Amino acid sequence: MADEGFASHRRDPVKSSVGNAAANRRRQLAVTVGKERREALFRAKRLCRDAIVGSDGEVVEDKEMVIDEGAVALNSRTNEAVEELKAACLYQGKGAVQKKVQALQNLRRILSNSDVPPVEACVEAGAVPILTQCLSFGSPDEQLLEAAWCLTNIAAGKPDQTKSLLPALPLLIAHVGDKCTLAVAEQCTWALGNVAGEGEDMRNILLAQGALPPLARMMLSNKGSTARTAAWALSNLIKGPDPKAANELIRIDGVLGAIVRHLGKADEELATEVAWVAVYLSALSNTAIDMLLKSEVVPILVERLETSNHLQLLIPVLRSLGNLVAGNSQMTYTIVAPEINIAERIILTLAKCLKSELRVLKKEAAWVLSNIGAGSLAHKQLIYSSEAVPLLLQLLSTAPFDIRKEVAYALGNLCVAPADGPGQPKVILEHLISLVHRGCLSGFVNLVRSADVEAAKLGLQFLELVMRGMPNGEGPKLVEKEDGIDAMERFQFHENEDLRNMANGLVDKYFGEDYGLDE
Amino acid sequence: MEWNPETLQTLSQCFLQTLSPSPEPRRRAEAFLADAADKPNYGLVVLRLVAEPSVDDQIRHAAAVNFKNHLRARWAPAPPNPRSSSSSSSSSSVVAAAPTLPAIIDSEKEQIKGLIVGLMLFCGSKIQSQLSEALVVIGKHDFPKAWPALLPELVSSLSNAKDYASINGILGTANSIFKKFRFQFKTNDLLLDLKYCLDGFAAPLLEVFLRTAAQIDSIGGSISTPVGNLKPLIEAQRLCCRIFYSLNFQELPEYFEDHMKEWMTEFLKYLGGVYPALEQSGGDGLTVVDELRSAVCENISLYMEKNEEEFQGYLKDFVPVVCTLLVGASASSSRERLVITAIKFLTTVSTSVHHTLFASNEVLQQFCQNIVIPNVRLRDEDEELFEMNYVEFIRRDIEGSDLDTRRRIACELLKGIATHYRDQVTNMVGLQINNMLASFAMNPAANWKDKDCAIYLVVSLATKKAGGSSVSTDLVDVESFFGSVIVPELKSQGVNSFPMLKAGSLKFFTMFRTQISKQVAIQLLPDVVRFIAAESNVVHSYAASCIEKLLLVKEEGGRPRYTSSDIAPFLEMLMNNLFNAFKFPESEENPYVMKCIMRVLGVAEISAAVATPCVNGLTFILNEVCKNPKNPIFNHYLFEAVACLVRRACERDISLLRIFEESLFPVIQIILTNDVTEFWPYAFQLLAQLVELSRPPINPAYMQVFQLLLVPDSWKRSANTPALVRLLQAYLKKVPHELNREGRLSQVLGIFNTLVSSPSTEDLGFYVLNTVVENLGHDVISPYVGHIWSALFTRLQTHRTVKFAKSLVIYMSLFLVKHGSAALADSINAVQPNLFVTILEQFWIPNLKLIAGAVEFKLTSVASIRLLCESPVLLDPSASVLWGKMLDSTVTLVSRPEEDRVEEEPEMPDIGENVSYTATFVHLHNAGRKDEDPVKEIKNVKEFLVRSLAKLASLSPGKYPSIINQSLEQANQEALLQLCGMYSCAIV
Repeated sequence: MADEGFASHRRDPVKSSVGNAAANRRRQLAVTVGKERREALFRAKRLCRDAIVGSDGEVVEDKEMVIDEGAVALNSRTNEAVEELKAACLYQGKGAVQKKVQALQNLRRILSNSDVPPVEACVEAGAVPILTQCLSFGSPDEQLLEAAWCLTNIAAGKPDQTKSLLPALPLLIAHVGDKCTLAVAEQCTWALGNVAGEGEDMRNILLAQGALPPLARMMLSNKGSTARTAAWALSNLIKGPDPKAANELIRIDGVLGAIVRHLGKADEELATEVAWVAVYLSALSNTAIDMLLKSEVVPILVERLETSNHLQLLIPVLRSLGNLVAGNSQMTYTIVAPEINIAERIILTLAKCLKSELRVLKKEAAWVLSNIGAGSLAHKQLIYSSEAVPLLLQLLSTAPFDIRKEVAYALGNLCVAPADGPGQPKVILEHLISLVHRGCLSGFVNLVRSADVEAAKLGLQFLELVMRGMPNGEGPKLVEKEDGIDAMERFQFHENEDLRNMANGLVDKYFGEDYGLDE
Repeated sequence: MEWNPETLQTLSQCFLQTLSPSPEPRRRAEAFLADAADKPNYGLVVLRLVAEPSVDDQIRHAAAVNFKNHLRARWAPAPPNPRSSSSSSSSSSVVAAAPTLPAIIDSEKEQIKGLIVGLMLFCGSKIQSQLSEALVVIGKHDFPKAWPALLPELVSSLSNAKDYASINGILGTANSIFKKFRFQFKTNDLLLDLKYCLDGFAAPLLEVFLRTAAQIDSIGGSISTPVGNLKPLIEAQRLCCRIFYSLNFQELPEYFEDHMKEWMTEFLKYLGGVYPALEQSGGDGLTVVDELRSAVCENISLYMEKNEEEFQGYLKDFVPVVCTLLVGASASSSRERLVITAIKFLTTVSTSVHHTLFASNEVLQQFCQNIVIPNVRLRDEDEELFEMNYVEFIRRDIEGSDLDTRRRIACELLKGIATHYRDQVTNMVGLQINNMLASFAMNPAANWKDKDCAIYLVVSLATKKAGGSSVSTDLVDVESFFGSVIVPELKSQGVNSFPMLKAGSLKFFTMFRTQISKQVAIQLLPDVVRFIAAESNVVHSYAASCIEKLLLVKEEGGRPRYTSSDIAPFLEMLMNNLFNAFKFPESEENPYVMKCIMRVLGVAEISAAVATPCVNGLTFILNEVCKNPKNPIFNHYLFEAVACLVRRACERDISLLRIFEESLFPVIQIILTNDVTEFWPYAFQLLAQLVELSRPPINPAYMQVFQLLLVPDSWKRSANTPALVRLLQAYLKKVPHELNREGRLSQVLGIFNTLVSSPSTEDLGFYVLNTVVENLGHDVISPYVGHIWSALFTRLQTHRTVKFAKSLVIYMSLFLVKHGSAALADSINAVQPNLFVTILEQFWIPNLKLIAGAVEFKLTSVASIRLLCESPVLLDPSASVLWGKMLDSTVTLVSRPEEDRVEEEPEMPDIGENVSYTATFVHLHNAGRKDEDPVKEIKNVKEFLVRSLAKLASLSPGKYPSIINQSLEQANQEALLQLCGMYSCAIV
């Protein structure tokens, strides 16, 4: 029977109209394969070159010239320094403490002042066990500080070198506790931050060993550098994809308050680190989203957005904002309610970002807009009547691919309204007609031709919307004029089944042959 | 099964015999193996045999194939199909339940996973490829989560491998496993798996890639390098490139971004470099290198498309190298794959933000002359395909499966450049077209390919329009191009000369059919008809298709442009040529020709003189295809043509029915008695059509077929059911009294009973039931009504699904509008006192608002409104709460759009649409019947609602407004008020 050959005539209707997908807010995926842009700053692991300023304001160590010498010489000097340290640790006589500290300082200078720190030689010489020994309880602060500093820079090395810190972790964590001086605690925090930056395995070990609560307490500090280092270490530690750590962090007393306080008042550097904590919290934890939304954090983020020109800060601020809006809770829309001017302010600053020369800002801003645009009708109208729309339309036809894709989500979301009850979202005709007449369709047809499956799907969904929604049956003609049929027919044999069915279904439905003559 | 010398011996013997040319021992061996496969550890034992060096190679190879297939079937056997399992419970089931194979046991799986990688690397290449495929089968289900050892094992084998046979084996396997990252939507799970693979494999991959690259650098440039040394290296690089593609498909991984320079440096070398020892070796040497180059092109296209920012620094180096490579490859007749991937890269660049690279006229000129035109020009392979495999040629030429041909892809490049430089491209191509036409004019016989190329360019660069036609193109003026270039070909006297030019011209006519004026087209039609008699399969297919499509052209406003009088003058020649075309070799089942017959029969005036030869011709073909139905598309048009012929001819002259019955009955008999199951739905539909057309006394032959309707097995094939319903309807309408004889009605209801008692067939049961209730009088069915209710309510007690309840509400509604509300309530209460109220409360009211479908909506609305206004049970003062609930639900149904009321059910059944009581399936349009509206007399449900309520309320003023206030949702109260306003009624 003809079933097989004619399956096309009874394909499933396109169940996922553009509304279903596009009106979905998109939080950043918890798993990152690509480079995190923050690492342009050498984010995940950092070498400690300069000394931490002690709590009493006294400079613990003077700065030295960066040593530049041959690798062989450096390695042999490293070996000597480690041997010297071993000897000092064995030495029990007079001035033993002083000797140990000096040996540690020597090693630390090599590790922090060299152009390429000789971490490998240092680990191979057996530095980690001896440094761990130097961290033992009851040791003088200076010794602890130097040992932690050495370990910090070892941990900033290659994966295996970072992992060699494993035996030192319990003591490093212990010293982050409140019994130590702030300088020691901060140095240990730094070391732990580097370890956490290594990857998921190390993060899990740190979490299992209870690193989270003491690090969180460090972030409550009013001392800038301490809070900054702690925030950075925490942002490494809670990255996920498991949301457990993020959930745990936000529930710790005082953390929410510290985030709000630092974001509101602190200098841009500290605010940047704290904003990254907010990024991961809002990407991973629904609890955190609810708590952050109830706090004052949204207006604070908006204010930062309005006043800062600092790219490194703007990126995490935009991302937190986008994630918070994508939280999909009713609360989001009470806080970013269109009636109060905050929504308008956000949109205004996002428009400013869209005009920026920096493509990463454009992309993030378009993404946030797409999330706001996935909200209530009032939000859509607000964006629609703002200066963002002409910018978005222009970007859709001229911007590089990754920006175009975000922009397309934003524009697509303006054209569908959430349903009142269950059921399919509705087309917002006014927006659709105007955007189509202002020329957005060719941009979406181009997305259909894209090799990126998400972009292609979005393009198809918008085409469906146009064909279904445009009045007087104008839709199919417009799609046809933009060579949309050709674009859709490319999916006839596509490897992604969803896309193939969607595209074939659309062509059948809107351009299928007139089977009968008398209809 | 245990591994011992004895098993080894037996299995070896068996595998040897599976290769035996004589069927007897072969079948015995196959049966033995099939049995043995059920035993635990069979797979493991076969794998051991594959690895046994003492066994003969051909046996080991056969065992490897068997092992792979064993894994395919049993590593993760598909769960049994729910429908087939449910019907398999009855012994008379026609649908054979697929036997469920037992899965390989876990301990055996673990052992196989532990052994396979090592064994694969240790075997020769033929066995290696089988084992690699087997490994991919496992990987598909288990990798990475349930097979954590695999990736580390591959990595360590890769670093220990000394020879490229092993390296390529590992890379090939990795390539197959990583393919799952391509073309999938991004999800956290997918990214987690990807991250795992990247963490483990990105660095070793680069390492082996660079190691191989260094070896190629040292020996690749020399002509004296032995091919055997270089080839595996190039092959390894190709595999690395394919893995690169998979790992980079979702997004740019950090590791690859950090090492982009290393990759790109080598990529560039392979595109720009030459490897004379291999490329000039003859054999597949050049192909092997080109495959590497194609893989590189795909990678840089991917980067260009998705990671343009990070990649842009390399772009300036790649573009000229790719261009040079292409100019060389375009001039050559093979190298298709390379040309396609390389052009795709340039196309991607042309539409990107870096399009300015192509802005200059010189570049454009070069592209057009040295890349596009040479690739669009016909090649020997195209001519060969045209002659040898017309089906494939047509698929590529007009049905859109040409995405990967050089002709199409070359045009894509032009389109790409035109997105930013439309005018330049138009001018340049226009110029080229004129040049080619001029060259043809100088010497048509020698330069006909120039003309073909020109026509191809015009058609391909035009914007596509619905139904495979083109809208205008700014390249040429369509009318004048048609007149000066196409018409001379169509007028050409020799239908068999220069067939490719004829095909191109017919294609042009077809594509631009809406723009060619009727006046011009009409004059050419007889010429097109001539070409149906051309020997070339493509030419007569295109000629038939051209006429078929022309007959579909509509004027503004939907009126067909061509009518029966337009084709009347040459109708006889047209039909003759069409039927004769089936006599050409390979065109015996030509779907284009059959479709054209169907279309012509739909338009032409069908006199007896036309009908008789047609029905004979079609019957002859029907008889032929019944012997071996193989081409479903052709067969569908064939049945459609028959149905169309019957319909159109009988409209004009009902006396022709006799002729059709005489011709068609024997064929239908053959279909039914020889069990040509593919055609049963068609046969039933044709029968239904004939029954409906016939006048009493009904031909006794029909009543024989009626018996088939009474066999439950006929109904179990879901594809038959809609056709059977249709046929049953036809009988019930024509000969209702026949049903009441010889216990047939109770047999029909027996079928209903069987079908409705299983979840997978219950909606089919309702089809039957609804048909009966719709078509028979109350007096006929009343003796059975009690049984029907019992069957339904029994089922309902054990099977309270929403789907079933909805079907029940629809059925009760139908019963009500046919036989009245009193009959409904009384017959239900006869099953058990007061049952009707319970049913209303528990099923009707809650499910009413979920009803979907236009006919169903109207039917259930009207039934509910009538219940509200005439059912004594509901109108009883004590039932006012129930009445209010009923109204509330009814107002929801009537006032809200379907998509707001009905939630999509995730567990949709797999047959048809769940609530539709009229069939939706591949039906024969021409034998079809419109869905009947059982409540035609009511035009507007909303108006009916408020008018009925107003009338009811006026009988007892003051009673209903308070009930409405108490029982209706606020939104529904408002909706009702609005409706009252709309139709100026008041509920007092």
